[in-house]
Amino acid sequence: MRNLIFLSVFLLSITGFSQKTLPNISLKTFEGEKVSVAELSSNDKIAVISLWATWCVPCIKELDAINELYDEWRAEVDFEVYAISVDDSRSVKRAKALVNGKGWEHNILLDTNQNLKRALGASAIPETIIVKNNEILYQHTGYRNGDEYELFEKLKKLSKE
Amino acid sequence: MKNIFFIIFLFFFSIIYSQDQPYIYGSFESNSQLLQDDESIGFLSPEDNFRSNNYFQINYQTNNILAGIQYEGYLPSSLLGFYPELDNQNKITNYFIKVQNEKSDITIGSFYEQFGNGLIFRSWEDRQLGINNAIKGVRLKYYPSDDVELTALVGQQRDGFNYTESTIQGLNTEISLNQILNLKDTDLSIGTSIVNRYQENGSNDSIPSNVSAYGGRLNMYSGNFSLSIEGAIKDPDVIANENTLVSNRLYDGTALQVDFGYSKKGIGLNTTFRRLENFNFYSDRLAEGNIYNQKTLSFTPTLSKQQDYLLTNIYVYNSQPRLVMNSIEKRSGEVGFQNDFYYTFEKDNFLGKYKTKIAFNFSYWSGIESTFNEDNSYNVKFIGNGPRYYRDLNLEIKNRWNSKLRTAITFLDVIVDKGITLGGPLGVQGDIKAKVGVIEANYLHANGKSSRGVIQHLWTKNDRKNWLGLVYEYGISSTVNLFVSDGWNYGGADKVHYYNLGGSYSKNSTRISLNYGRQRGGLICIGGVCRFVPESNGFNLNLTHSF
Repeated sequence: MRNLIFLSVFLLSITGFSQKTLPNISLKTFEGEKVSVAELSSNDKIAVISLWATWCVPCIKELDAINELYDEWRAEVDFEVYAISVDDSRSVKRAKALVNGKGWEHNILLDTNQNLKRALGASAIPETIIVKNNEILYQHTGYRNGDEYELFEKLKKLSKE
Repeated sequence: MKNIFFIIFLFFFSIIYSQDQPYIYGSFESNSQLLQDDESIGFLSPEDNFRSNNYFQINYQTNNILAGIQYEGYLPSSLLGFYPELDNQNKITNYFIKVQNEKSDITIGSFYEQFGNGLIFRSWEDRQLGINNAIKGVRLKYYPSDDVELTALVGQQRDGFNYTESTIQGLNTEISLNQILNLKDTDLSIGTSIVNRYQENGSNDSIPSNVSAYGGRLNMYSGNFSLSIEGAIKDPDVIANENTLVSNRLYDGTALQVDFGYSKKGIGLNTTFRRLENFNFYSDRLAEGNIYNQKTLSFTPTLSKQQDYLLTNIYVYNSQPRLVMNSIEKRSGEVGFQNDFYYTFEKDNFLGKYKTKIAFNFSYWSGIESTFNEDNSYNVKFIGNGPRYYRDLNLEIKNRWNSKLRTAITFLDVIVDKGITLGGPLGVQGDIKAKVGVIEANYLHANGKSSRGVIQHLWTKNDRKNWLGLVYEYGISSTVNLFVSDGWNYGGADKVHYYNLGGSYSKNSTRISLNYGRQRGGLICIGGVCRFVPESNGFNLNLTHSF
C-alpha cells in the first residue's frame, strides 16, 4: 500500500507538467504508405481527427454526418478530416469497401494494432479531436445526433485564433 | 519494489538523455459494478458484490525516447466473467522504454506487436475483453530503406499478473515492392514471419519443446481492386483440452486467408475467405481453448458482421479454429467466407434529396469435412461438406429525410448451431434460426437536444423464442446523454425483461457513465473475439480520463 501511495504522488507530480500534444506515432494508408500523426496539423493547419472502426455504429454516423456537411463547412473554414480506423486485421480489409461505398471524402489512416488509440487513452470510440500544430484543442468521446454542429462551432472559433 | 526502482530509473534516464522538450500523456480508466441478487433471472450475487477493474497508464515522450508504465488494479475482485487470476491484485503490470532513430528502434519491457493479419502472432490489449497479452522482453525494429521493415523480438508473454514460463521469439519482414519493381499504378507488398515457442517438455520426450509457426503474405492494390493472401503453417504439436493433454500424438496446423475487394466512389465490395485447420497457437501448450482468451499468440477472430443492436447480437458466431478429438465430438477446424457490399445512392433519389446508403452482408461458416480414424489420425478435405456452424444475411438501409431526421432499417436472418450459442458439441444439437428487424430513428430537436429511438423484434421458434426490444436515448446537450432500454423475452418461459437505464457525461477527454439494469448472459464479442458473460443484475460505473 505504501508503494501505491508513493507511486500515485510520483505520477500526479508528473501529470502537473503534462501538455496536450498529439503523440508522435506513425500510421499507414490503405496503400501501406507511412504517415506521421505529427504531420497532420503542421503549419497552422486545422485537422479533425476521428478514431473510428467499421463495427462502431456511432463512429460511422458521425463520419457520415461530417461528410454530408463537409462542402458547406469547407466554404467557411479550411480544415481536413482524418478518419483513423482502429480496426484490427479482422475488419480493416472491409474498411476500404466501407469508405468508398459510403462515398466519404475523409483522409483515411489505419491504426491497426491501436497504438494511437492506446496513446490517446481512448477507451471508447468515436474519439474526435481537433488539432492545430500538433496541439489538442478539443476532444470529445462518443457521438450523438447533432454533435457535428458543436464540432463545427469549435472549428470556426479555433480557426480565428 | 524492484519494478518501481526500474520505472523511476527509466524516467530519470529519459529526462537526462533527452535534449528537447519532453511531454507526458496518459489515461485513467475505471470500470466498476455493484451486483445484487435477482431471483427472476436466477442470479445470486457473489460474496464480492462490488467489483472493479482499474487502469492507469502514463507515457513520457521526447524526440527519440518513449517510456511508459501501466498500473492495473482489480479490487476487491475483477468484473464478473473476467479472468479469475486477476482478482484481488494490483500492480504495475506493463513498463517499457523505446529508443528510436531514423533507421531503427529498440523496445525494452512490455510491448504489443502484430505480424501481418496476426494469424501467427498478435500481442494486444482489450480491456472490455480482459485481454492483455503483451510480451515482456526486447524488440528490435530495423528499417534498412523506406521499403523494408524488419522486426525481431524475444520475451515472455503476460498471463494475468504473471508471465508464462515459455520463451517466445519472433522475426518479421515487410517489403514494399513498388520501387523495387518500379510499379506505377499498383501497390504491392509482401511479408514473412516466424514465431517460435520454447517450452520445456519436462519428462515427456514425445512432445516437442520447440514449436514454430511460419507465415507468408502478399498485399496488392491496383486501381479499384485489392487482393491480399496470407498463409501459415504450424509445426506438429500436441493438442490439449481443459489444461490436460489429449494424447501424445502430434498434429500440424494450417491457415489460409484471402481477401478480395473492389471499390470506387459510392460502391464497395469485400470478400474474405478463411480456412483454419487446427490453428491455435498459445504461449502455453496447455492453454488451448481457455475461455478467457489468455496466452494467445495466434489471432483468429470471428469473421462475420459485428452486431450492435440489443437483439441482433444475441445469436452471434465465435470462430472455431481448434482440432477437437474426444469421445463426444471430433472436428478439425473451420472454413467459410464473409462478404460485404456497400452502396450509396446519388442525391435526389426516390427516398428524398439526401444520399441513401445501403449495406449488405452475407457470411457462411462451417466445419471442414473430415474423417477420423481409429488411431486418432484424420483425413481432411480442403473445404468439403462439413456441418454448418453459422450463416447470416444482413441488410441495412440508412436515410436522411431532412436536416432533423435520420432513420436506419436493419434486417437480419441468422442460423447458428446450438453448440455455438449454448455450448456443448457442435453440429449435432441442431440449429437456432432467427430473424430480426430493427427500426431506428434519430431526431434533432430545435433547441439542440436530440432523441434516438429503436424498436426491434426477434422471431424464432427455437431456444428462448421471441423477443421485443426498445431503446430510447435523450441527449440533453453534447455532454449529457440519458437512456432507457428493455429487451423483453416475451416468448420465453419466464418472460424476462432485461431492462437498463442510465446516463453518461462526456466532456473534453473525460467520460463518466452510470447505468443500472439486468445483463443478459451470453457471448459478448468485440472485434471478433468473444467473451462469455454471465447473467447479472446491478449498477455499473465507468470512468475514463486522458491527459
